[in-house]
Amino acid sequence: MLRCEGATLDYGSYRALSGVTMHVDKGELVVMLGANGAGKSSLFLAISGLRKLKAGSIRLGDHELAGRKPSQIVADGLVHCPEGRKLFPGMSVHKNLMLGAYVHRRDPEGSKAILERVFEMFPILREKQHQNAGSLSGGQQQMVAIGRALMGRPKVLLLDEPSLGLAPLVVKQVLAAVKAINEAGTTVLLAEQNAYAALKIAHRAYVIENGRIVMEGDPDALLGDERIRKAYIGA
Amino acid sequence: MNLSLFVQQILNGLTLGSVYALVALGLTLVYGILHIPNFSHGALFMAGAYTAFFFIGSLGANYWVALIGAAAVTAAIAVLSERLVFSRLRDSPPLHDMIAAIGLLLFIEAVAHAIWGADFRRMAPPFPGIMRIAGTVLPIQRALIIGGAIGLMIALHLFLKRTTTGATIVAMAQNREGASLVGIDLTRVSIITFAISGALAAVAAVLFAPINLISPSMGNLVILKAFVIIILGGMGSVPGAILGGMIIGFAESFGAFYISTDLKDIIAFALLVAILSLRPQGLFPAPSR
Ligand SMILES: Nc1ncnc2c1ncn2[C@@H]1O[C@H](COP(=O)(O)OP(=O)(O)OP(=O)(O)O)[C@@H](O)[C@H]1O
Ligand SMILES: [Mg+2]
Repeated sequence: MLRCEGATLDYGSYRALSGVTMHVDKGELVVMLGANGAGKSSLFLAISGLRKLKAGSIRLGDHELAGRKPSQIVADGLVHCPEGRKLFPGMSVHKNLMLGAYVHRRDPEGSKAILERVFEMFPILREKQHQNAGSLSGGQQQMVAIGRALMGRPKVLLLDEPSLGLAPLVVKQVLAAVKAINEAGTTVLLAEQNAYAALKIAHRAYVIENGRIVMEGDPDALLGDERIRKAYIGA
Repeated sequence: MNLSLFVQQILNGLTLGSVYALVALGLTLVYGILHIPNFSHGALFMAGAYTAFFFIGSLGANYWVALIGAAAVTAAIAVLSERLVFSRLRDSPPLHDMIAAIGLLLFIEAVAHAIWGADFRRMAPPFPGIMRIAGTVLPIQRALIIGGAIGLMIALHLFLKRTTTGATIVAMAQNREGASLVGIDLTRVSIITFAISGALAAVAAVLFAPINLISPSMGNLVILKAFVIIILGGMGSVPGAILGGMIIGFAESFGAFYISTDLKDIIAFALLVAILSLRPQGLFPAPSR
């Protein structure tokens, strides 16, 4: 479904990604593990077109994404829920969510139905829909960010550290939602610091270090790996 | 104190404030959304006045046709400047935008100079009549300025708040990366924003021209004041631009009357210093980005 080959990205003279090759199959939930600064966000930003690759290719189905505009990539069915949420803080929750459906603005009925599903997934958002997004708690804002991404009707959803800075109970809730989204048919690529919790819901995982994929495997294998436990789980 | 003279100053303040607010609105939109301090905005104001002057004088158009024509032509110039200059500087340091804007200002001024010369021109007042309000005289042209500005502000407000296209502009101002990630196209938003800012500047100029003079440098003082206004109002803030415009308009009108006409143009800058020393963030700080 999503396939990166030799993806290389530079920030000036600094190489953030060097030849990343990875893929996510249709219906999979794949986790990308990596320490701070390993290159997870850089990879996601390159996939969604916000950063230009130096070399390599990124394909969605049999569609080359490298070189396309972010707006076209969203329309192609790949939606990126970014690290740090990037909401529109001065707009209501409702408007934030509806802007998530911007590329489907010719189909307001369809968007209304998805909005209803977002509200079912996160009932608190229905309650707060007329408040400014900026006035919500961190966890609630994360729900808005995920909801906004779902409004874009992703075939492939990239989630960059959706649980960053949230209380353990809320982390659980958010990851449960991610699992449910995947089970409802959306292909998911997830970057997470909570390696243990993420591996628990994943089908497959990659480990990225210094802009390179250093390991790939199924969650149980990674959970059993001594180095992974030391580096990412702390046990 | 003479009450009717006082009311007269209020009407003058409203007139000036309306013109300043319209100019400042375009400037603050472009700054808030694209982070470009568009010094060439004053040249757009000037271009609008000359375009209308040309429509009326050379094509025999009536005032309203000239107003709409000037708005369209100036919007096109603004869009061209975005396409040819500013869009190419998107990834450069902010200083480059500033230098390019000053270059554009000089360029547009030189073009006007080459076509129309340096002489001051007059636009014949299309509505020379007056009306009487509360014992004071209000020339119809001034009523038009005030009414037109209020109408445009309401229209702009409704556009930004109620339409999807308006929402994409606000979204781009509040979080550029977030806007791109939901599929809003930065190029499209930039074009629309520049078009709006050009059209607003032109309308302000054409409304103002019959009670003022037209010259290639007519935009310079206006743009300086517009910058004062958006700094006062909070860079990027729409209500701030309107309120700031009115504050400067009133200060000038009352200052000219009760202090001295000669000091009128200094008042804006004196106010800037005074207000910023009390409220460095401006009157309406924009939400943090
Ligand atoms: N805009 C930028 N300019 C220069 N360097 C950058 C930029 N963005 C990221 N980097 C660098 O690229 C490297 C990878 O950053 P990236 O944000 O992709 O890491 P990450 O894996 O997402 O980390 P985290 O877990 O902290 O979010 C880091 O060393 C970072 O300093
Ligand atoms: Mg990151």
